[in-house]
Amino acid sequence: MENSKNDKSTKLSATQPKYLNMASDGDEISDQEKVQIVSDFILHSPPGEFNEVFNDVRKLLNNDDLLKEGASGAFAQYNKDQLIPVRIENSDNLVLITEYNDLGNNRFFDPRSKQSFKYDHLRKEASEYQTYVPDASSEPWRAALDTEFIEYTKNHYKDGVCSVVARINSGNIVLTACIEDHQFQPKNYWNGRWRSQWSIAFNSNCTSAEIRGILKAQVHYYEEGNVQLLIGL
Amino acid sequence: MAEQQFDCALDLMRRLPPQEIEKNLGDLIDLVPSLCEDLLSSVDQPLKIAQDKEAGKDYLLCDYNRDGDSYRSPWSNTYYPPLEDGSMPSERLRKLELDANHAFDQYREMYFEGGVSSVYFWDLEHGFAGVILVKKTGDGSKKIKGCWDSIHVVEVQEKSSGRMSHYKMTSTAMLWLQTNKAGSGTMNLGGSLTRQIELDGPVNDANPHLVNIGRMVEDMENKIRNTLHEIYFSKTKDIVNSLRSVQPICETMQQQLLKQDLAAALQRRHTKGEN
Repeated sequence: MENSKNDKSTKLSATQPKYLNMASDGDEISDQEKVQIVSDFILHSPPGEFNEVFNDVRKLLNNDDLLKEGASGAFAQYNKDQLIPVRIENSDNLVLITEYNDLGNNRFFDPRSKQSFKYDHLRKEASEYQTYVPDASSEPWRAALDTEFIEYTKNHYKDGVCSVVARINSGNIVLTACIEDHQFQPKNYWNGRWRSQWSIAFNSNCTSAEIRGILKAQVHYYEEGNVQLLIGL
Repeated sequence: MAEQQFDCALDLMRRLPPQEIEKNLGDLIDLVPSLCEDLLSSVDQPLKIAQDKEAGKDYLLCDYNRDGDSYRSPWSNTYYPPLEDGSMPSERLRKLELDANHAFDQYREMYFEGGVSSVYFWDLEHGFAGVILVKKTGDGSKKIKGCWDSIHVVEVQEKSSGRMSHYKMTSTAMLWLQTNKAGSGTMNLGGSLTRQIELDGPVNDANPHLVNIGRMVEDMENKIRNTLHEIYFSKTKDIVNSLRSVQPICETMQQQLLKQDLAAALQRRHTKGEN
């Protein structure tokens, strides 16, 4: 039986259609497909485990140039999806990396301290600071909401960080407020993150306003197992 | 390098969302094809159900009842699709396998009130090994989808005296819960826990292998069931509460200060009373 068990293993690849192709033609998948898989893994890193997932995929891909070239978009996307907080100069508050304060070319802005900065998506550090001039018509609204959000975040999130960003969309002011809080306890084999995003759109004479919100919570518990809770509403 | 890559692949499977085990495993194998065999034999996947047309009963598919592209049913002992020379347990073991399937069928009915179970045995040099599988898809609620899969792989070493055996069991239980409603959004809670146990047990008429294995599986499933309950509900609730506090944090802090004050006051009174 031991032998037949071994025989089995060699036939293994033929049992599941997905692996059949691979075993039959013996060809490796293209670099582009590898990058796609690696990017997908990166984007699914649980809270606080980006570095571990990064190190795993780095060894599995075994091609640092391809990783850097192909998957750097995923590093940036992950940080924006997860609302990663970053410490910046000349400010007591952390600022969140989001799609709303993205200036392109790895630069982000912080309307609160009126600076823009370059963000290193792997080291998770800010540098190359520049002055950022916010839009004058929306800034008073943004600043007012920011003050309230700072207070609210302090009241409900132990280590919460919030950012409020304004933009003008077809004559309407759109304010987007994001909140992030996390607890990482790898020694106890768990990590968790909360994310809130609220968007308020209104016109300048304030006859109507629309508010939309998304809440997300993710918990990873991995002592002798892998249990994840994903909530989105 | 290969060993290091295998460790990385296992580490990755421990971190990526368990809701997507099959996709993640397939992607990993595409990425590093040389890990295929090792990964398929070390990562547990949700069980699949097939029908034994001869016996008119459902049975479960896993790597242990597979030979080539065919899977052996424990009820009729035949491979589907038919296979001429598919590997079979020895006659003595097949008898034990049949008894085990009937016994665990009853066990499943008692604890799960539904679902499918299958037991497969294979011969080893000094004993045998087997896998006990149970799968139950949730039918208790229309609003919540759920599924339980348990996989117990047991290795039995028969001592030369024949009166004692050494049992080693590795158990994995997977549990999934999912809700998706416009009013309450999506909640996806799932994953797996793995536990191991080894013990020596007497083998005699009152305690045949089946009784010993049955007791081990029952104890383990009860234990994992309790742990799952704690982790899935109490632990995740505590963690979410530590992220966002329902009560304003200043109130919580005031309550804590009051608690400390009261404790200190009680302590003072207590010390006074002693004097």
